[in-house]
Amino acid sequence: MQRILNALIQFRNSILYFFLLGLSVSFTFNQSPFHHYNIEKYGFYFSAKIFAIKYAIGNYFNLKEINQQLLEENEQLKKNELKSYNIPLYPDALKQPRRFPFKVKKANVLKNSYKNQRNFLTIDIGTNNGIFPEMGVVSNNGIVGVVHSVTKNYANVISILNKDLKINVRTNKSPAFGSLVWSGKNPLEFKIEDIVSNATISLGDTLITGGMSSYFPFGIPIGKISKLEKNQESGYYLVDAILFHDPSQIYYTYILENIDFEELQSLEKNILK
Amino acid sequence: MKTLSGISVISFILLVMSQVMLFNHLHIFGTINPLFYLVFFVFYRFESNQTVLILLSFILGFLIDFLSQSGGAHTIATLTLGFVRPLIIRYAFGVTLETPQSYFNDSRTLNKMIFLLLLTGIHHTLYFTLVYFSWDAIFLIIKNALFTSLFSLILMSITLGFYPNKK
Repeated sequence: MQRILNALIQFRNSILYFFLLGLSVSFTFNQSPFHHYNIEKYGFYFSAKIFAIKYAIGNYFNLKEINQQLLEENEQLKKNELKSYNIPLYPDALKQPRRFPFKVKKANVLKNSYKNQRNFLTIDIGTNNGIFPEMGVVSNNGIVGVVHSVTKNYANVISILNKDLKINVRTNKSPAFGSLVWSGKNPLEFKIEDIVSNATISLGDTLITGGMSSYFPFGIPIGKISKLEKNQESGYYLVDAILFHDPSQIYYTYILENIDFEELQSLEKNILK
Repeated sequence: MKTLSGISVISFILLVMSQVMLFNHLHIFGTINPLFYLVFFVFYRFESNQTVLILLSFILGFLIDFLSQSGGAHTIATLTLGFVRPLIIRYAFGVTLETPQSYFNDSRTLNKMIFLLLLTGIHHTLYFTLVYFSWDAIFLIIKNALFTSLFSLILMSITLGFYPNKK
């Protein structure tokens, strides 16, 4: 206490000066709008700078949270996007609400291989989050694969970079459909099998999912036709396709849950019996 | 410390009145009003209480601002001058045993001139900066500070000439 008092007495001049200065400055700037405006201008300049720095720092720490928000937003948008492809399939003619039997769930990719002939991905959600085998997996730009096996917290996905996986595709112009299979070399190069040679398809046509499987809804753009050859003997086209986006560079995926999956399965079983 | 005498109070009030009633209406060359009240900082004795000086300079500036209806520029400039006066004295007269007790106890003309020059220079620069308060008016500030300083200095020199050296 004594020291504080001593300090106060020692610096009484400076203290008095700054106190009176503050008083007179506040008088000035309250009295004159010009000064007020000018000091406010500088104030804004500095506060903007400070807030910019704070934003830059805070931004960095918020990245994870913002990422999460964006993923959630994307999940919703993905669903709407997929739904929008399907408008011709689920018409609104009878004034019933459009039914879209797919649900979207987001997941992070933990492991993604692309150097083998049969590649798999591991994602970080499993049965706890309602993931079951034979669900379709898409990324922000194109399809990724189909869920193969599931544990409680993880799931294994057959990548489309797997020679065993065939995906039902068609072109956006012609209803002719075939199966997309990886050719096994470049992750962008694919082959399309089983397009009958009387179909009217041409070079450069966009390939979309056909919606014939229960994995993927209709209309997700995948790639385009890069090479077209008619095989007269077999009656099928020999088609090469190039994907729009590299499936080996994926960090986030969306799992498509088909609500009608069991219904469809039971239907098919009945037929087989 | 000298006690406050009636004459000091009356001269203080007279100083304020002369500035407000006379020197603020001179308009030399249309714009220049010399700030004569700075002689207060010359008359206030060098060894007197610094804290009282700061208070007095605040009151002086405030009164002039109040009576001439200017913003707070006089107050801020005068207050600052009161705060930095010891530094100016130290610079102008040197830190020696010869440091005078007041302006009139020293016979060195050059030191006195430097003292007056620093007083007016600092005060006027601050004052006009606060009056215009904008980067765009920087040349106006310099011009005004220079010319007003010149006339203030002339006026103060004449006034101080009436007081003989006590030594």
